[in-house]
Amino acid sequence: MSNKKAAWFSAFINVVPADYEKWLEDLALQGWNIDKIGQWSSIRMVFKHTTPKHYRYVFDMQAAPKKDYKATYEQFGWEFVGQMASAFIWRKEYDGERPESFSDAESVIKRNTNVMYAVMVSFILFLITAVALTVCFILFFNTLNLSDILQYVLGFTLSYLFTLYLGYVINKIRKNRLR
Amino acid sequence: MNIEKLRKRFIPMSETMFYILYSLQEERHGYGIMQFVKELTNGRIVLGAGTIYQSLCKLEGDGLIEPVKEEDRKKIYVITKAGRTILLEEARRIQEIYRCVEGLL
Repeated sequence: MSNKKAAWFSAFINVVPADYEKWLEDLALQGWNIDKIGQWSSIRMVFKHTTPKHYRYVFDMQAAPKKDYKATYEQFGWEFVGQMASAFIWRKEYDGERPESFSDAESVIKRNTNVMYAVMVSFILFLITAVALTVCFILFFNTLNLSDILQYVLGFTLSYLFTLYLGYVINKIRKNRLR
Repeated sequence: MNIEKLRKRFIPMSETMFYILYSLQEERHGYGIMQFVKELTNGRIVLGAGTIYQSLCKLEGDGLIEPVKEEDRKKIYVITKAGRTILLEEARRIQEIYRCVEGLL
């Protein structure tokens, strides 16, 4: 068995923060561990096979963390694993009761709302792109040759598809905002 | 922010918010707040790092608490005058509930 494995598009598959945390936790239990999460980890991350670990992972969204953000987590014994855009990943080894970073319903909802807003920004950007491409396509249709037409159609189709996907993500996080 | 807006925003407040504000009658940092509240509630409430960070941001943003100093990247906070006004009003509200439940039990 290879002692490395890659996970593709993990953040796009496990879109609910609590599911992402659980996915990382389950992998760690099977001995698949990661040393560092970086900017591109949402697309591809590589796990190394080590001894199984009992980690509690936390997914936190902070668009503008203050300078005591990391210090606060570290004081509580959380290890900083890395960051993908504004998403911070923390973990803590445990035995017995599963540690929580968000200890009441209000702060769990706030965390999930922050994630939802971040996805909404991308949703709006992709929607604007799709609509702009469609409008240009219609306005300039008479001047386009076949290859231009194909490029436009591909461009707005992909943008609409991704907008739809992001809409699905927003709705799924909203439905699961309590956990 | 004027006191009327603060009232609307914070009263009634969550148990977490109340205990954090209450504990900042003395200067404390995040971890110190967690320990204090845990002891005060006999281990019933164990505040998490994310919850404390969020709550401190909100309380500081609305001027209910303020940072007084920093010890190796840890910010130490204390309640402000506006924070104390809100805390006392909330305490009175809870006292009213307390009187009600006393009759009930």
